[in-house]
Amino acid sequence: MTSTEGFKRQGDHTYIAHFADSEKEVLLNLCEQIIELLAERRDHGHEDPLAAMVGITSHDSPPDDEVLHRLLPNAYTDQVDASEFRRYTESTLRQKKQAHAMSMRIHLKSSDDGDVDLDHDNANAWLGGINDIRLALGVRLKVENNSHEELELLSPDDPLRGVYAVYTWLGWLQETLLAALIDDFDEDEESALSNG
Amino acid sequence: MVKTADKIEEEIRTIFSADTPWVTIVWDDPVNLQTYVTYVFMELFSYSKTRATELMLQVHNDGKAIVSTGSREEMEHDVARLHEYGLWATLQRGDQL
Repeated sequence: MTSTEGFKRQGDHTYIAHFADSEKEVLLNLCEQIIELLAERRDHGHEDPLAAMVGITSHDSPPDDEVLHRLLPNAYTDQVDASEFRRYTESTLRQKKQAHAMSMRIHLKSSDDGDVDLDHDNANAWLGGINDIRLALGVRLKVENNSHEELELLSPDDPLRGVYAVYTWLGWLQETLLAALIDDFDEDEESALSNG
Repeated sequence: MVKTADKIEEEIRTIFSADTPWVTIVWDDPVNLQTYVTYVFMELFSYSKTRATELMLQVHNDGKAIVSTGSREEMEHDVARLHEYGLWATLQRGDQL
């Protein structure tokens, strides 16, 4: 099995990639972890079932977990406004992010030979999904404080070294998909200009 | 005291004024790739590549940039979409920048 060359554009608005078994396994594992992480909070036992049905939750404080806090950030710098907004929207945001990871998972699971074929909407779901995984890994790697040079120099026994390798690989994978998507954008803009 | 009363009156006027613009701000983040931030601006706001790149660079260089302006509801919608794609965004009243 050769390892992936990343995403390539195939015709208009179709993006393809091939993943080796080991790459598929890593991606599937990460998707499953993100889906689980984004599951509704169980820390409040008194949910109003009717409110929950329409996506209103009783929790209005940001998540304690640092990774979840980055994935579900405050929408206002003002705490009162931030809490109010969170009560009405956090549940939907969790579901949308889960849907991105689930889209990746379905494509990978249903591909026996490691080939993945995405349309524009699927490509956006993958971009968002890969980005959430990178955000989560970035928190664990403390990318805010550690420079890339420092992370490159992690000792081979350091478990974070493997995390950093995956983080870098996902960044590269995301770049290949972005290049293919922006290529399409450029052509659309050009044809719009020549038609106009 | 007069000043305070004036200020309160002005505040109330602003609250009831329908055309007070709100803004969506995107903050710099060490994880999000520059190309990704540019793409998200193009995709969500239909900005040209040039405009989206300018905004991305402003976020990168100045630490933040105003990416859209409108009513509070519209800005809440924009922030929600930016959060869906993992950008670090907040909204606030445009006159309180």
